[in-house]
Amino acid sequence: MSSPTNGLLNGVKALDLTHYFAGPYCTRLLAGLGADVVKVERPPSGDPLRRLGPFAGNPGAYRAPDGSAAPVEDGAWHLYLNAGKRSLGLNLKTEQGRQTLLRLSERADVLVENFAPGTLDRLGLGYEELRRVNPALVVASISNFGQTGPYRDWRAAEVNLYAMGGLMNITGEPDREPLKEGAPVAQLGAGQNAFAATLAALMYAEETGEGQRIDISIAEYATNILENALMQYSYSGQEYTRVGNRGYGRAAWGIYPCRDGFVGIIAGPDHRWPEVSRIMEREELADPRFASRRGRQDNADEVDALMLPWLIEQDKVDIFKAGQESGLGFSFVATMQDILEMEQLLARGYFVELEHPVAGTLRYPGAPIRPDTDAWVFRRAPLFGEHTAAVLSDWLDLSGSHISELATSGAIPSGAIQC
Amino acid sequence: MLTPATIQPLKNYRILDLSRIWAGPYCTKLMADLGAEVVKLESLSVYDSHRGPVSPARGIAAYPDGEPGEEPWNRNGWFNCLHLSKYGITLELTNDAGRRVFEQLVSISDVLIENFRQGSLERLGYDYAALRRCRPDLIYVSMPAFGNTGPWKSYLGYGIGQEQLSGMAHLTGYPGDGPMKSGINHGDPITGSHAAGLLLAALRHRRRTGEGMYLDVSQQESSVALMGGEVLAYQMTGQEPERTGNRSRWYAPANSYPCAGEDRWITIAATNENQWAALAALIESDGDAPELTDDARFATAEARLAHQDELDAIIADWTRGQDAFELAGRLQSAGVPAGPVLRGPDLLENPHYQERGTFLTVDHPQVGPRQYPGLPWKMTATPGEVRSPAPTLGQHNREVYGSLLGLSGAEIDALESGGVIGTRPTGSRII
Repeated sequence: MSSPTNGLLNGVKALDLTHYFAGPYCTRLLAGLGADVVKVERPPSGDPLRRLGPFAGNPGAYRAPDGSAAPVEDGAWHLYLNAGKRSLGLNLKTEQGRQTLLRLSERADVLVENFAPGTLDRLGLGYEELRRVNPALVVASISNFGQTGPYRDWRAAEVNLYAMGGLMNITGEPDREPLKEGAPVAQLGAGQNAFAATLAALMYAEETGEGQRIDISIAEYATNILENALMQYSYSGQEYTRVGNRGYGRAAWGIYPCRDGFVGIIAGPDHRWPEVSRIMEREELADPRFASRRGRQDNADEVDALMLPWLIEQDKVDIFKAGQESGLGFSFVATMQDILEMEQLLARGYFVELEHPVAGTLRYPGAPIRPDTDAWVFRRAPLFGEHTAAVLSDWLDLSGSHISELATSGAIPSGAIQC
Repeated sequence: MLTPATIQPLKNYRILDLSRIWAGPYCTKLMADLGAEVVKLESLSVYDSHRGPVSPARGIAAYPDGEPGEEPWNRNGWFNCLHLSKYGITLELTNDAGRRVFEQLVSISDVLIENFRQGSLERLGYDYAALRRCRPDLIYVSMPAFGNTGPWKSYLGYGIGQEQLSGMAHLTGYPGDGPMKSGINHGDPITGSHAAGLLLAALRHRRRTGEGMYLDVSQQESSVALMGGEVLAYQMTGQEPERTGNRSRWYAPANSYPCAGEDRWITIAATNENQWAALAALIESDGDAPELTDDARFATAEARLAHQDELDAIIADWTRGQDAFELAGRLQSAGVPAGPVLRGPDLLENPHYQERGTFLTVDHPQVGPRQYPGLPWKMTATPGEVRSPAPTLGQHNREVYGSLLGLSGAEIDALESGGVIGTRPTGSRII
C-alpha cells in the first residue's frame, strides 16, 4: 500500500495520535477522502481499540486475551475505524521516538490526538513544541471535557459522556433509569465535528500559513445537539424529561412492535393523519379528538391501543412502505441483517468489499456522503506497524540504516526494518 | 445587517440555505460557526417548521415562558437555537419574479443546500445543471432522506426514523426489552455534521481547481456510517447485537445508578483493572459494604462481565442515598470514570460549562436574552463567535436583496406588494 493517489484530500498529510473511537473516526474521514493518514501506534499492542471484539478469527470473544500483548488485527471496530490509514509503530516515551514525531510534525498538515489533556505536554510534545517546528500545523485535540475547565482531568467512558452531555437524562422510560444509546455515538459524533473543524483550520492554514489548535470536547458535542430538550428549559424553565418511545410525549411518533420486529410510526403533518387511519383500516383513528398533534398527545394511550392490533399483524417493511406510499415518513428498526440486505443501500452500491490479510473479506459501509467526483478511497485497516519503514522513508527520507538505528534504540518495533 | 465574521476560515463564503428542520440547519450552523455567511431562505407559505405553527396553543415550553406572543414563528426556541449567526430572507420560488431573484441569489452564492423531499427543487426547474447556469462553480448539497437515486429516493425521513433505519435504535434499549429511540432525533445532527465536513472538502477542492461539486447526501447512509463496527461484527458473528442498556460488552461495571433525590442518577464505569480496584476500594471503605477486592466473581474483566447483575446491585446499594455530584467528585478523585446524569438546569448552571462558555447568552429582539448552545469547538487562531440571534422571518430581506443583490428600493417594494417576499407567514405546514 503506497501513498494515496486520489481522493478529495489527496496530498494532505495527517499524523494520527488517536485511539478508541472519537479521534479515529475523525481521521478515518480524512483517510477516506484520500489524505495520507499515519496512525502512530505505541508498541507492542498499538491502539487499544484493536483489543475490542468481536474478532473475525474469534467471533465469540469481546476482549483480546489479557495475558498477551501481541497486536490484534481483526477486531470489528478497529477494522472499521482505522480503515485507509497507515500504521507507524513508534514509542513516544523514548527520546528518539519523540524526535521522530517532531520531524514528522514538520512534514504534516494536520495532527489529530485524543490523549487525556496534558499527556502530550508530559511527553515533550505539547502544542507549543509542535507549533515551534511547524507553525502551519493544525492540531486537533479531542478529549472528554476539553482542554480547560474543572472537569478537564475527569475520566470518562461513553456512559459518563452521554450522562454529562445531557443526552442520557432524556433517553429511556420516565419511570426507569436513564439510558444511553447502544453505539458509541457521543464519541463518534465528536469525531465528526472535529473533522469539520480540522478541515476549516486546514483551509485557513493554507491561506494564511497560520496553524492553530482545536479543542473538541466529547461531552460538549452532546450539549450542542440537545435541541428542544435544552431550549425549553432555557426559554420557559420547564425541564424536559424521558418520554420512552413516544417522541415529545405524543402517540404515533415513535417505535412500535409489529409482527417481525419494530416500526417507526410518524404521524406526519396533521393533514396527513387521516392516512394513518386509512392504512390501518381503523375508522376510530379518524376521530376528531386525534386530528391534532396535541390531541394525539392528550389521548396517546387510546391512539396506541387502536394502532397496535393492526401493527402486530403486519411485517415491518410492509408497514414502512404502506406509510411511505401514502406520504408518511414511516420507518422501521433495521437489524444488522436488514441493513446488509436493504434494497435502497444495495441499489446505490453503498457497501464496499475490502480484503484484509487477517480478517478476510468483509462488506464495509461506504461513503457517508457522495460527491459527483472521485472523492473517496476505500482501503483496509493497517496491520500494527505495517508502514513503519515506508512512512519513515516517504515522509522523512530516512535510509535503511537510520531506520535500523531507530529500531535498535527501541523507538520503533524491531520488525519494522523490512518494509 | 449582521456583524461580518472577523478572522474566520469561511468568512469569504456565502451559503444559500434552503434547508429546514435540523439536518440541513445543523450543517449550516457549523458553517456559520466557522464564519460562513449563511443566508437562510424560507417561503412565507412553507416556512421552516421548526418555527412552529402560526397559531400555537399557549403553554408550550418552546416559547419564552410558554407564551407564543404575536409572532410565534419568531419566538420558538427550537428554531432560534439552530439559526444563530444566520441571515433570514423569504422568497416564493413558485412565482416568476421570485424565480428571477432566486437565480440572482444563486449566482452570488458559493453553496446551495437543501433537504427537501427528493426532487422538489428539480420539479421547480432547478436541477444541478440549471443551477450551474446561474453559477458555474456552485457547490450543491442535496440531502433528501434516502439520497437522490434508488427505489426509496422519494420516501420521506426524519431524524427519528434514521435512528431506526441505520440500526442505531436496534442497539439502544433496556436489556431484554425492545428498541428505544434516543431523546433527540439523532440522525439529523449526524447527517448535518457529515455534510459540513464534506462541504468543507468541496470548498477546498474548488479553491484549488475552480470546480464546483454536487453532493448527494442520503441521511440514511450518513447514519449507517456510524454503525460500521456493528455491521462488520454481524458479518463475523452471524448474531444480531444484543441491547445491553447502559452496559458495555467490553468492560464492567458500566451503568447508571440511583442517587439521593428524585430522578437523580450517577453513571460509573471501570474500563480497566486500575479503575476497578479504585472503585472496589472506595465502596469497601464505606463501612458496611461487602468485600469486593477478593471476590472471585469480580476478579477479572471477564468475570465482572459475567456477573454484572450482582455487581450492579452492589453498586446501586452503595450509590442509593448518596448525592450524585459529590459521589462523582469522590470517584473521580480516586481515578474512576463517573459523572452525574445532568438535567437541563444542571447543564446551564454547571461550573465547567460556564467556565468554557459552552452555553452563550444571546439577546433576541422578540425573546430577550436567553441561553443557547454555543460553538462545539474552541479554535486558537480563529475562535469564532455568535454574531447575531436567529433571524426573524424575512428579517434581512431589505439588506440581502438591496445591499447584496443590488435591487432598488422600488424593486423590493414590488416584490413585497406582490407577496413574493415578506415577513408574515401566509400559511404553515407543521410536522
